[in-house]
Amino acid sequence: MKKKYAMVVDSSVCIDCKACMASCKVQHDLPRGYWRNWIKEKRADFSMGKYAYAHFQPGNCMHCDNPTCVHACPSGATYKDDDTGMVRINEGLCIGCGNCIVACPYSARYRHPVRRVPDKCDFCQDRLAMGLQPACVDTCPTKARIFGDLNDPESEAANLLGTRETVKITTEPEDTRPNMYYLAATEPMDWPGEVKYPAAHRAMTGFVNPLFKIAVGLSGLGVAAMFIKQLLTSPDSSGQEEKKQEEA
Amino acid sequence: MQEGKTPISRRRFLKTSLAAAAIGAGLQGPLVRTLVPEAEAAGSRPAGEVTSHFTACDMCFNRCSMIALKQNGVIKKLDPNPKCLKSRGMICARGNAAVKHIYSPDRLKYPLRRTGRRGEGKWERISWEEALDYTAEQLLEIAEKHTRCGVMFTPGVDSQSRFVQQFADVFGSYNITNHESLCLLSRNRAYLDTFGEMPYPDVLHSRYIIIVGANPLEAFITPDTIDLIEARKQGCKIVVLDPRFTKTAALAHEWYKIKPGTDMAFFLALCHEIVKGERYCCPEKTFGYEQFVEHVAKYPPEWAEKECGIPAEDIRRIAEEITEAAPRAMVYPGRRTSDYEDSTQIRRAMAITNVLLDNWDRPGGLLAAREVGVKSPYYDIPWYDDNPFDRVEAGKATGLFDAIGSFQLMRESVISEEPYPIRGWFSFKTNFMQTAPNRQKTIRMLENIDFFVNIDIFMSDTAWFADVVLPGNSFLERKDPVHPLQGSSACACAFMREPVVEDMFESRPPLWIVQELSKRMGFGHSFDFTIDEYREKQVEGLDGALEILRKDGIYFNPSKVYGIYAGSPLKTLSGVKEIYNQRYERSGDDPMPVYRRPDNPGKDKFRLVVGRTAIFTQSRTNNELLTEFMDENTLHMHPEPASRLGLGHGDLVEVESETGKDRLRLEIDEGIESQTVYMATGFGSLSPQMSLIYKKGASIAEILKDTHDKISGNAAMHETLVSVRKVS
Repeated sequence: MKKKYAMVVDSSVCIDCKACMASCKVQHDLPRGYWRNWIKEKRADFSMGKYAYAHFQPGNCMHCDNPTCVHACPSGATYKDDDTGMVRINEGLCIGCGNCIVACPYSARYRHPVRRVPDKCDFCQDRLAMGLQPACVDTCPTKARIFGDLNDPESEAANLLGTRETVKITTEPEDTRPNMYYLAATEPMDWPGEVKYPAAHRAMTGFVNPLFKIAVGLSGLGVAAMFIKQLLTSPDSSGQEEKKQEEA
Repeated sequence: MQEGKTPISRRRFLKTSLAAAAIGAGLQGPLVRTLVPEAEAAGSRPAGEVTSHFTACDMCFNRCSMIALKQNGVIKKLDPNPKCLKSRGMICARGNAAVKHIYSPDRLKYPLRRTGRRGEGKWERISWEEALDYTAEQLLEIAEKHTRCGVMFTPGVDSQSRFVQQFADVFGSYNITNHESLCLLSRNRAYLDTFGEMPYPDVLHSRYIIIVGANPLEAFITPDTIDLIEARKQGCKIVVLDPRFTKTAALAHEWYKIKPGTDMAFFLALCHEIVKGERYCCPEKTFGYEQFVEHVAKYPPEWAEKECGIPAEDIRRIAEEITEAAPRAMVYPGRRTSDYEDSTQIRRAMAITNVLLDNWDRPGGLLAAREVGVKSPYYDIPWYDDNPFDRVEAGKATGLFDAIGSFQLMRESVISEEPYPIRGWFSFKTNFMQTAPNRQKTIRMLENIDFFVNIDIFMSDTAWFADVVLPGNSFLERKDPVHPLQGSSACACAFMREPVVEDMFESRPPLWIVQELSKRMGFGHSFDFTIDEYREKQVEGLDGALEILRKDGIYFNPSKVYGIYAGSPLKTLSGVKEIYNQRYERSGDDPMPVYRRPDNPGKDKFRLVVGRTAIFTQSRTNNELLTEFMDENTLHMHPEPASRLGLGHGDLVEVESETGKDRLRLEIDEGIESQTVYMATGFGSLSPQMSLIYKKGASIAEILKDTHDKISGNAAMHETLVSVRKVS
């Protein structure tokens, strides 16, 4: 059965200790100055006196169902994985244009300073394969982050979603339909930026057929042989293209 | 369980390891990897299997159980051990950053001997043989001239500190101390003198917690930190009194921006309300209740409001609420209580409030230590006829702990050579140069030290001033004895470490070092054992403990949690809870806490308070990952005085006290009390080999004045008034 990985976050128990960020950084050996996850803060209003409070909100790539980064990718390197619901990156197809980075309203992606490709949260696929939780989830002192498969009704994530009120942090006018759920209420809510598509690219993703789009990617790559190899190794990629086309 | 292997297919893992390898290799040049599909790239290099190994964290004192994931001989990741009830299956940012700690390029690699002046940084590499011969010879020479007590020992609080302690004992010195006189001795003193024991707060089952002088959501204490959040979820009310808006304050139900040093006023008024309302059930279970009722009659909430700034009506309401919740209610005892000259008396006021909540030895209250069952193997301590009568600072504080003493008071004695000289110093993993107030005085003390040997894994500020520096191995390279731990109501437990990786460079474990030294000094027989033999003695009577430790990484003793005393007398002089302390009366201390108003900083001066965060490790924050969160400390100041002094956010400022001065950046902080400034511990390093924090920010040790708590001899770190000026 297909999975739909998601994260449910109880931000009310986050103590802003940064353990999730440190754990992620070590797990993925991220370069200095770059992170795959974050903790946002609703700063205190000190006019509230003794009731002044702050609220901390953990986050990372929201693996959106309407992934603006995928729409922005001219080469098909960034795609929505049908089997897991995750937004993934095939670095071999990436042309390094950076469109996906600006298209993400959450700034969940950065350009890796050495590899020159976008990098972001992958829910620790390698840990999942080992039967381990994602690094940020595993290490969290107060278990603010709950990871799971929403298609599995037994999972804690699915259970929470079914029994508790949740909110999503999304954007206007384009709803990203994120797979990061926050137990209500969470703060801050207003931090996502604008979804930015390069104008020329927007036209292409909107009107040009999938084959042409792949060709654009290829021209960027400049390696035709790679394309054939990729078709062989990723049999589901064309399906992804069609789905994306419908959404766009 | 080192042999335990993680279930993982080889092909899957090739990808991760290659991704990791690619980043590492990428530092040398651009990669072709981006042009090669993942599967293809993965086939090109071999990658080893991932194995998992139990260990326990050593980045702070909590010792959270961890699982190290190792591949190709390298530790890739440290994960929490889900079976560890004490840590509640978590690893904080510091624990995660331990990988960067052990693989730091700043690590000490081989023995060094000083060739220049102290602190000049001129060293020669020597062999272990030479280092050990030389150290043994120097120590014996001092013993010959100045008795065995002429060498002081600072063994640290590590799993192998017990061997350094044993070495000091067998060598024959009583002058042994650790960091605790800069930390929690005043709290220990106060609770011992009230309940006869040190308390372990049962945060998880509490319904009302007042937190003062503590910041458990940033300064992690396991399981308290995690349990505080869980208790809050279950409806426990949290009231925080702090001159700073800490993260604990940020998540509390109520936060009072109390004037620093006035905590006792709040508690005396709280007690006033509790006894006045006859809200305490059982005066007969205490010593001195009647005197106390009289004593606190002069401390009504209106009086306290003027002292501490907390409205009288709030004090009244809190008294009502907390007694309503009692006995599942507490004043959190805190940990780093080295703050004022009357810090023991401040904690006595808090301890007495706990007495009135009737929470001792009960769920949601303060618990006595539980039985872990791990033994301390016996060793003979020889007698030296020429040794002096007592430790060097004996009698300089009325409630000094015999076994620990006080670093600051020892330092005075070393400088004055009174009552007798100390000329040698043997230190393991203790960094007074960075943690003890008045750094210049520590440097001055070294003028009287003829020989100073320091074991550490880094060239700490303290090691930087040593004569011989010996590279210890890190906790991930070490085979350690069984280490017992208290975990409040969560558990009484023990862990032990097996080496996850081999000793790096020429680093060696402390046990090996003291074994080699003792052979050279004529008492080799005292250390004629292996860790395995030692462990066997430790777990005598605990059936299967070692097997459980190997299988689970942690051993639990299902010992009694509540009602340990079950009607038997407490270990106090009176055998009951001592509200009125008879021993204090004899030593000339106030038998019940008497409020002492802290000095007003006056116009344009500030009281300096210090503390720590969840993302650094006191004096050892030379960590590539942790410094990304915080690469230098800042001086927190309220916007009102800042604007009056013309200071802006990010300005470089000089902070000056009567003791010293240092420079750091200003951080405007609306959450801090306006006559208070704050800076974090652990920056402004003197040692260039602490390369990430060398001269970064300011060191508290340079600025804090070295006054102390009159009873415990604990440092009083919040008594320093400072002026702040902009550096142009």
